Amino acid sequence: MPDIIFMLLLFFMVATTLRERDVYVKFKLPEAVAIQKIENKRLISYIWVGKSGKIQLNDNLVLVEDIQDIMYKKRVELPNVIVSLRIDKESNMGVVHDIQQELRKADARRINYSAMLKQ
Amino acid sequence: MVQIKKKKEIEAKIPDAGMSDIVFLLLLFFLVSTTIDVDTGIGLSLPEYIPPEEQEFVPLSKDRLASLNINENGDVLLDGDIIAIPQISEKLKPRIESKINLPSKKKLVISVKTDRKTNYNLYIQALDQIKFSYSEVQKAYSQSAYAKKLEDLTPEEVKDVKTKIPIIISIAEPEQIK
Repeated sequence: MPDIIFMLLLFFMVATTLRERDVYVKFKLPEAVAIQKIENKRLISYIWVGKSGKIQLNDNLVLVEDIQDIMYKKRVELPNVIVSLRIDKESNMGVVHDIQQELRKADARRINYSAMLKQ
Repeated sequence: MVQIKKKKEIEAKIPDAGMSDIVFLLLLFFLVSTTIDVDTGIGLSLPEYIPPEEQEFVPLSKDRLASLNINENGDVLLDGDIIAIPQISEKLKPRIESKINLPSKKKLVISVKTDRKTNYNLYIQALDQIKFSYSEVQKAYSQSAYAKKLEDLTPEEVKDVKTKIPIIISIAEPEQIK
């Protein structure tokens, strides 16, 4: 019995990524078919864009202009950072484009439009 | 005969009765704090940022380019013709296939252009269609060239598939609103 529990424990310890982030914006992801998984969770930085157009980068609400600085620092620490864009599906492309421009300036160019699998 | 009585050794033991309790507690902690769901989505590499003054105009021949425009009303244009989003992949597939054996400078470039007010969901649906058509073509190619599924290929073979059918998507900048 303790062996089995130990095994379960080990499994969860390995599979876990600690510290879930608090999300301050409301969003609903779009659905898509040709989606891929991101294997390495530790490489990901998240950007949320909510229904109201608020932008959250990792743990804080930010303005579009701030993204470049923050992401540049992040990229120096973690050269192959992937930015996961969790954008509400009713957003406009304008804000998406602004964020992309900032990311390009920060040279964090690997992005991933987060989407759910269409059933 | 004198029997020497063996001194009874005192057994040393680490008390482990409480161990399983601790392990249980740890297990519960990890169970609760775990999130196993993986992040899924459409991956893309943005182009390098070049300041407007240094931007160069690179001419692109017309048969290499498939331009997809989505306006703010949700109308989708593929090379100037109105098209429904679910049809995009059917239209693109033959065009991608026809360029498999051409040199890398002649592969298809798909340019996606939106307005600032285009709905994000539409953009993702269109991008999804493009990605889908590429993955279909790659699958078909790996089946015909190696008689294997894409996920069973060796790294070299994957590389070959990717050089034969590179995914080139160009995200054009939306036009400024005047």
